[in-house]
Amino acid sequence: MTAYIIRRLLLVIPTLIGISFLVFMLIALSPGGIGAAVRAQAGAQSTSSLGLQEAYLEDRYGLDDPVIVQYLRWLARISPMKFGTPDQIDPTGAVVRAPKTLDLPPLAGLWYAEGAVPGDLAPPDDIEIGETDEEKNLTYRAAANEYARERIAYIGASVEVEQALRSYAIANGMRHALEADNDLKLDVFKREGFDPAFPEYAEIVSAGTLSLEALQRARQSRAHLQAVFDARPYPRATWTILGIPLRLGPVHLATPDFGVSFSTSRPVVDLLAERLPVTLLLNLVAFPIIYVIAVPMGMLAAIRQGTWIDTLGGALVVALWSVPVVWAGVLALVFLASNQNLGLFPVSGLQDPDSSAMTILPFFNGEGVWQRGAVLDVFWHVALPVSCLVYTGFAILAKQTRAAMLDNFNADYVRTAKAKGVASRDIVFRHVFRNSLLPLITIFATLFPAMLSGSVVVESIFSIDGMGKLVLESINQRDRELLLANVLLVGGVNLLGLLIADILYALADPRISYE
Amino acid sequence: MVVDDLAVSFDNAGGPRIQAVDGVRMSVHPRQTLAVVGESGCGKSVTAMSSMQLIPRPPGRFDRGEIRFARKDGSRTDLLTLSEKEMREVRGAEIAMIFQEPMTSLNPVYTIGDQIVEAIRLHQEVKVTEARDIAVRAMDDVGIPDPAARLSAYPHQFSGGMRQRVMIAMALACQPRLLLADEPTTALDVTIQAQILELLRDLQAQRDMGVMLITHALGVVAENADVVCVMYAGRVVEYATVLELFDNPMHPYTRGLLRSIPKLGERADRLTTIKQIVDNEDEFRQLPRADDGVRPWWPWHDPPEDLVPNEGPAGEYALHRVANDHWVGLWRTEAVGSERQDAPDLQYRLADDPNAPSRTATVKTVA
Repeated sequence: MTAYIIRRLLLVIPTLIGISFLVFMLIALSPGGIGAAVRAQAGAQSTSSLGLQEAYLEDRYGLDDPVIVQYLRWLARISPMKFGTPDQIDPTGAVVRAPKTLDLPPLAGLWYAEGAVPGDLAPPDDIEIGETDEEKNLTYRAAANEYARERIAYIGASVEVEQALRSYAIANGMRHALEADNDLKLDVFKREGFDPAFPEYAEIVSAGTLSLEALQRARQSRAHLQAVFDARPYPRATWTILGIPLRLGPVHLATPDFGVSFSTSRPVVDLLAERLPVTLLLNLVAFPIIYVIAVPMGMLAAIRQGTWIDTLGGALVVALWSVPVVWAGVLALVFLASNQNLGLFPVSGLQDPDSSAMTILPFFNGEGVWQRGAVLDVFWHVALPVSCLVYTGFAILAKQTRAAMLDNFNADYVRTAKAKGVASRDIVFRHVFRNSLLPLITIFATLFPAMLSGSVVVESIFSIDGMGKLVLESINQRDRELLLANVLLVGGVNLLGLLIADILYALADPRISYE
Repeated sequence: MVVDDLAVSFDNAGGPRIQAVDGVRMSVHPRQTLAVVGESGCGKSVTAMSSMQLIPRPPGRFDRGEIRFARKDGSRTDLLTLSEKEMREVRGAEIAMIFQEPMTSLNPVYTIGDQIVEAIRLHQEVKVTEARDIAVRAMDDVGIPDPAARLSAYPHQFSGGMRQRVMIAMALACQPRLLLADEPTTALDVTIQAQILELLRDLQAQRDMGVMLITHALGVVAENADVVCVMYAGRVVEYATVLELFDNPMHPYTRGLLRSIPKLGERADRLTTIKQIVDNEDEFRQLPRADDGVRPWWPWHDPPEDLVPNEGPAGEYALHRVANDHWVGLWRTEAVGSERQDAPDLQYRLADDPNAPSRTATVKTVA
């Protein structure tokens, strides 16, 4: 069994890689591509700052690379097995990487500043980063900020060169050197060359010269930052066992890095850590309710097959199942929660604004006034959302339980048990229900992952910031890092659910064995 | 156990009720094997299941009759009138049943030991450990090797023959007075069949137990039965001791059954079919006093003109004693209706019969 579980867990890795690859490609193929919504927001600004913004985003997230390169880079970041220079972890827990390299500005060295294109600088080796952690941190921050500034300045200068090229192309009838979206076709410029007689040419030369100067400054600060990084101001991210780093040659093991969300500029892990407990709270309340009500209902319907209990119960659960959550949720909000009607429940959120001032448990205070306390407050808030999550879930589980029980009631071993003189109650629970567990386990495998992402609609209606809403937002924003992290999480939980189901099968039925 | 004028019918959605058995009479005595023979659907199993109240009601219904049973404490009860709770004390403890399909008759998710112990503890107030000892002895009795270790095995780890042995061990763990064996060997191969039947015979002799053996294999009947009851379409058509029945079958249907079996040393291009016999009008005129209008009952024939039906649904039919140890299902004609109707009841046991040939001799005449 252990060997089987280990094998299955190892199989999870290639499956998740496959899933993430598909999703990554789908985002890349979607209109606007990765980060489209972030770029669309930038559209409100002027053209030049739009270009700068876009260039900055492309630079920051590597969006100007081919999709497959972007994917491999993402994979390398989330993989616990890493190659090359180990990253470092700063005191806030953020991953610190070696500084990124700089590309040349467009057409550099080809016709402007001929021969004057600077090369990469070697980092100075006599660098002093301080003694204490505090000093090291300050040194690194200063160097990193410096480089960030110079890098942005250089990117801005490169964008200026592109603008100059664009003006030149438009003024000199070289429309064919521009893409439909005004991107430059640099090979056309390379092939056709320039006519220095046009006034726009001087602009290109001056922008180009400026960009090379900016590049030179950026390279200097990059060399400095590299030297500071190499002096290791922070501990390495590499995992250690008893102080020995898990590192063999160029390969080492380190904590996966899920990156920073495009749309909120916050670490993805932080966002998940914030939203996950909310969704888990909703579902951990909802799931037991579904099981506790639906399974006995199915059993009762099977025992009293054909009676009014069976018919009525079956009709009821199917009717509930047929009511759209969107509609029921809004009705509940309007009639039960809104102050204009009954106002029995809170309209949104998970806690009262001043719940932090409440006691934990409910009590009557000195004047005999009822105080509900923080715990009850949460239950009061989740009552409507949980009801909306629960009512559609009864049908499948109750009907499956009923069908499985009926199958087993007609089984030969039930007749044997009756012939032994077993009481009908014991037949139902000990013989029939025990054998009806397998279909229930199968349903569990499909319901279990829904605990993470199944409450999208309910969370939206009741303004609860949970996982469902987060997934929806990440899709709308095409927030690559966030979406991929969600996909990995949901995919992982799906696979885990299947594995748990398989293990439960073996426990429930001695005929199933994985040896 | 005496089955007296049993009638059971079932609901039939959108149609008239289906009369599964009607006017069935038979009896089983301790140490006796009553073989109930007939084709599928003739009511053999319904009769046996009725005596355990294992017929699902609804759709089933007991229309008429009694099943009288001599309890361990010496009292006699009508099993059909017992409440579910009273019936539970009979099931397993006084009447046990084994079924046709050993592959599916054991609960797949519990160990053999759990299932036998469950049966024991239902009827005997013993601790689990004592119950396990009883279970080990019961498994030993039915010839399961290394029974103590096999207690913790699951049904799927056993072969079909072994599972049927487990079923028998479970059925007999509480020392029942009567065992209903509903085609216990049909699903098993021939050598295992012989082993299981021999085992049943041995256990029966040791425990003075009555056995109702439901089967459609006449070879099994010849080898095991003391008394034979042939059923057709929910009625008993012939009831006699095993030797009498094989030597002198009186109902055409019984003759058809016997003649359709190939005989050793006799060359035949085609076997006689039951249809050939029962379609022959002459076959129905061979009973003693046939000239007085004594005719075998047959559902596909029109009733004779001199029929004097009794009140009630099965009134046109009578299970009539035509010889000392021989009953035949007849039309209730004038010649029959005027006479006293003895219920079929034979204390006969082949093993006690000094004149009887050995079992093997009987088998040879049949198989």
